[in-house]
Amino acid sequence: MPMDTLWLLPALACYALSAALFVFDRLSGRTQATGYAVAILGAGVVCHACDLAARGLQAGNIPVANFAQALSFLAWLTALAGLVMIVRLRLAVIGAFVAPAVTLALGAASLTMSSGRVVLPATLRSVWLPIHVTLAILGYSMFVLAASVSIAYLAYESRLKSKRAIGPANEGGPSLEKLDRINYRLLGWGFVMLSLAIVSGAIWADARWGHFWSWEPIESWSLAIWVLYAGLLESRLTIGWRGRRAAALTLVVFSLLVGSIVGVNLIFPGKHGGSFG
Amino acid sequence: MDQTLFIVGINHRSAAVGLRERLAFAEDEIAAALGRLRDSSPAVLEAALISTCNRVEVVGVASDTVRAADETLTFLAADRKVAHTAFADVIYSSAGRDAARHLFRVGASLDSMVVGEPQILGQLKTAYAQAAEAGTVGPILHRAFHKAFSVAKHVRKGTLIGHGAVSVSSVAVALAGQIFDTLKDKTVMLMGAGKMAELTARQLNALGIESLLITSRTFDHAVALARELGGTAVPYDNYKPYLKMVDVLIGSFASTKPVLGPEEFESVIRERRYRPMFLIDMGVPRNFDERLNALQNVYLYDIDDLGALVKRSLGDREREAGKAEQIVELELESFLRWLAGLDLTPTIKDIRYSVERLRDVEMGRHRGWLAQLEPAVRDRVELLTHGLTNKLLHRILSGLKHRDNKTLDAAFAAEVARRLLGAELDAHVHDLDDADDDDDTGIE
Repeated sequence: MPMDTLWLLPALACYALSAALFVFDRLSGRTQATGYAVAILGAGVVCHACDLAARGLQAGNIPVANFAQALSFLAWLTALAGLVMIVRLRLAVIGAFVAPAVTLALGAASLTMSSGRVVLPATLRSVWLPIHVTLAILGYSMFVLAASVSIAYLAYESRLKSKRAIGPANEGGPSLEKLDRINYRLLGWGFVMLSLAIVSGAIWADARWGHFWSWEPIESWSLAIWVLYAGLLESRLTIGWRGRRAAALTLVVFSLLVGSIVGVNLIFPGKHGGSFG
Repeated sequence: MDQTLFIVGINHRSAAVGLRERLAFAEDEIAAALGRLRDSSPAVLEAALISTCNRVEVVGVASDTVRAADETLTFLAADRKVAHTAFADVIYSSAGRDAARHLFRVGASLDSMVVGEPQILGQLKTAYAQAAEAGTVGPILHRAFHKAFSVAKHVRKGTLIGHGAVSVSSVAVALAGQIFDTLKDKTVMLMGAGKMAELTARQLNALGIESLLITSRTFDHAVALARELGGTAVPYDNYKPYLKMVDVLIGSFASTKPVLGPEEFESVIRERRYRPMFLIDMGVPRNFDERLNALQNVYLYDIDDLGALVKRSLGDREREAGKAEQIVELELESFLRWLAGLDLTPTIKDIRYSVERLRDVEMGRHRGWLAQLEPAVRDRVELLTHGLTNKLLHRILSGLKHRDNKTLDAAFAAEVARRLLGAELDAHVHDLDDADDDDDTGIE
């Protein structure tokens, strides 16, 4: 077995199994499999970390040389942060979105992941690479988690509105107020990360190419996404848009984000080298 | 004739509260009453008295259960000074298997007015302790009660019988918990003087809220209630300016048409910057226009919505009760096997425990000089004492097991062995410790 799949396949298998268990619990309205789902997700995160470490050592930098690697890195950070939220904030409900999303992302990444040595283009070898990329990907992972919290919010909300909110499936679940607050915090942190990623990228570009901004497709899109998230936070702070509307808007902006990442990276790879960092 | 359980009593199904309260015993009367029962009723060999708001029952042991039930009835009538005829029609009695099943179902909260309510187990434990104190507990009642406790524990753990809110006010409180993360920083407003609305406000208030506003057509009523609950009275003709502060609004005005509609509410929720609002409509006719539920982050439940959820919880409990009944039946078989003297396991356990305890105590008394011995010698002493107790146990136990199983003879012999060894007393201590550990009724 090549080095590449030594940890990748177990990680993927763990994510998939954990996703199946989380979804099963959601559909059956019970929580009997949740403990296993969390543990298996944790095992997946560990395997995945080993895979990333192996690739990182090989490349001599963080493993984000191409789209597949960057996607894998995003999946890992999301799984890790999601796991922390599930355990610390007792939010098992988001597992049913986070685990499948992570499985999908890593699955897509591993299909296109080239085996053998991936050489980082010389233009990208810099100390700015880990800073810029990690910030951006951390920001994106916050947005994935915000979307998962928003989906949970909308599901609980519709049950409360339609008066089906009492039953074993709801007892001990998170309150709307809690989900809304967590959504807000995730958006806030994601926005800060994304801002810092843009700034650090600009500084890096200035140092390397002599100009801060070159209106590459990915730069333009990132700016657009940044503006949208800024608007989302602004609407909460000034008008007080929260709850259902905030959750729905979070999902709209998130789907635009996903569309831009997939679209831009697959259709117009610029100097970002087909990676969305 | 074999000794077996019997039960005589009335409960919330068989008799109205007017009669139940006349037959009830206060907690501090029970031990003395059991003494009187024993003195006046020769057929009653063992007895315990369960007296709660929903039931008055005597659980006892007798050989002639028909006579024992009669004597118990006569005792109840005389002791409570209630004419025999007043409750002859509503009293139930059963014996043997049915009596044991009844006791187990009571403990498992299957016979409660609200199925699954957790208090009954504690009440049963109290009844047992009182009977033990009165000296009217013998081996069969001892075993029956402990079996009832363990059945109750299995039912709690193995079914969802204690889940779900089962009253209108507790459903409202549970819903508030699903909307709000905490009530500590929330304002509740009670509109009107409806009983159920007031009860809900009281429950929310007891959970700890930021502030309670009360408005009522009779201002004095609002002021009195506000004083009692530590809230603030708000004038009836000028309560609307306060709405923007309110997170939970409970309506119970007597009014022929809704007092609040979506038009005026739109500005309220905008002013509160769309923070969620829980409207509980306990008025009939309804206080709040049902279109309010469509507003952003506003959740409106009327009395029928709450009632439907109560019904659903009760339905869930009924379904769980089916599983609980199966647990009861299984445990019933094991109890009856023991009663028939076929199952000596608990007796053997008690005797073994007692003999081993004896050895431990003796070894403890001689700890001082034992410690000074050489380790090898000390081990010898250990071995010697173990050898002695094991030989003794072996004789007793094989003697018990080899009796031909003519039921009570074996049980009788076992009982004699228990008594001679003081196993009964040790086992009490032992089991009561166990029972305390299992005291997990923390539902709701």
